[in-house]
Amino acid sequence: MTIARKTHDRTTYEKDAPQPGRVLDARLHLLDRQLLDVDDVPVTTIDDLEIHATGGDADPVGGPAVLTNLLTGPVLGTRILGGRPPSSRLERIAWSHVRAVDSAVKLGIHGSQLDATWVERWVRDHVIGRIPGGRHDPE
Amino acid sequence: MKRLLGVALGVLTAIGGFLDIGDLVTNAVVGSRFGLSLAWVVVVGVVGICLFAQMSGRVAAVSGRATFEIIRERLGARAAGANLAASFAINILTLTAEVGGIALALQLASSVDPRLWMPVAALAVWLVLWRVKFSIMENVTGLLGLTLVVFAVALFQLGPDWGELAQQATTLAPSGTETWPSYWYYAIALFGAAMTPYEVFFFSSGAVEERWTAKDVGQSRINVLVGFPFGGVLSIAIAACAAVVFLPRAIEVSSLSQIVLPVALAGGKLALAVVIVGIVAATFGAALETSLSSGYTLAQFMGWSWGKFRRPAQAARFHLTMIVALLVGLSILMTSVDPVKVTEISVVFSAIALPLTYLPILVVANDPEYMGTHVNGRATNALALVYLVIIVAASAAAIPLMIATGAGA
Repeated sequence: MTIARKTHDRTTYEKDAPQPGRVLDARLHLLDRQLLDVDDVPVTTIDDLEIHATGGDADPVGGPAVLTNLLTGPVLGTRILGGRPPSSRLERIAWSHVRAVDSAVKLGIHGSQLDATWVERWVRDHVIGRIPGGRHDPE
Repeated sequence: MKRLLGVALGVLTAIGGFLDIGDLVTNAVVGSRFGLSLAWVVVVGVVGICLFAQMSGRVAAVSGRATFEIIRERLGARAAGANLAASFAINILTLTAEVGGIALALQLASSVDPRLWMPVAALAVWLVLWRVKFSIMENVTGLLGLTLVVFAVALFQLGPDWGELAQQATTLAPSGTETWPSYWYYAIALFGAAMTPYEVFFFSSGAVEERWTAKDVGQSRINVLVGFPFGGVLSIAIAACAAVVFLPRAIEVSSLSQIVLPVALAGGKLALAVVIVGIVAATFGAALETSLSSGYTLAQFMGWSWGKFRRPAQAARFHLTMIVALLVGLSILMTSVDPVKVTEISVVFSAIALPLTYLPILVVANDPEYMGTHVNGRATNALALVYLVIIVAASAAAIPLMIATGAGA
């Protein structure tokens, strides 16, 4: 999917040619939206987006770009405080897993298949799951 | 018939669930110092919470998105993060006050030092959060909280001079030695007690917990619009009891035993037992709601899996957050801080934080992308704008007034 990017100085970019289908605004429709998995279980909030130039350049300046990954994890801290974590520390969820964009963004796969949900699994396996009754339905 | 029962149950739990330690303490203190001259603030607060709770419930029912998901989406990571920090801190403060309130009420019943009851109370709250279904938790504490009706009964038993009370309620000015700044300071405290932000987090997340859809909006509107005003009447009854017993003697209420004294005077031991049950139920219910709200706000901001409809293991970080919040509240109480003082501070800070939750909800309730045909009507928006002005004014005036009056001293 190609996305129209907002910049402070819009005049330096040419407007994208009209695209078929629905136009999504990265800030309005994707950033900070809730991400749900195929069973509607919350996965994360979309903390940031990773885009690449259509040519594959990792740090595109101008020109058309493609959204490749939704980001989560430490990138939230740097979005609030500034800076950028090294690429190796980004927790990525591939855009190709996304099935629908609505009042939440929906994935076509189970959240448990994603590396990005490791903290939830860790807390479940090491803390909450070990307390008696933690794996039962409330009564 | 089943539907009618559902409506009745909803209304009754809304009445019982309206009152918490903030309402109990603030109304009694205000009654003992200002009589009923601030009763109008309770009316303003009740209309406000009806408007606000009804709006957030409708947003959650129609869009399926709870309050803090929306705050994050609308304000972005940075502003919503600041909002979260403030809301979360005030929520912990309120939770602390509620758990302290449970312990004080149990002390009245048992004469055991409240610091021994506090860990027991916190553990009991956690066990309910851990194992009990959302609807049972809501209904039991709400219905038991209804016993606070005894304040209204006590007021009649005390046989007050009704003309005098009416006179107080229509004189919108401080009486005796009280000053205008303290009058307005307590007006803001009462407003904050009636409109505490946690009720909105709880109400909107509760709508998701109970899987409301657009069809349930009508039922929720009845619950709120009938239940909360009755809760407001009970609030005023508490203030009136204090006004009858303490105001003529110039005694300022500063402890829970004083808050229940008018009831004991009017109805004896039996009424005292009933009011203690009511206070335990009201504070316990509110402790559950504030613990849940701390989990809801953080989980919704971060996008974690949350909700009591899931097993704890399937909302692991949500449950961990609530455990940590309870432990933090308990450690604050263990410093021997006076829970009544914590309550007085928490309601004022609630008033300060109101615009943080109110504004994003108002914006989203007007967004057709979320709400479809269920966007706010004109009348709602007109009233909402009036309240926006009141809320912002109360929020801005709170800290200067707090400094000027030495926190109402």
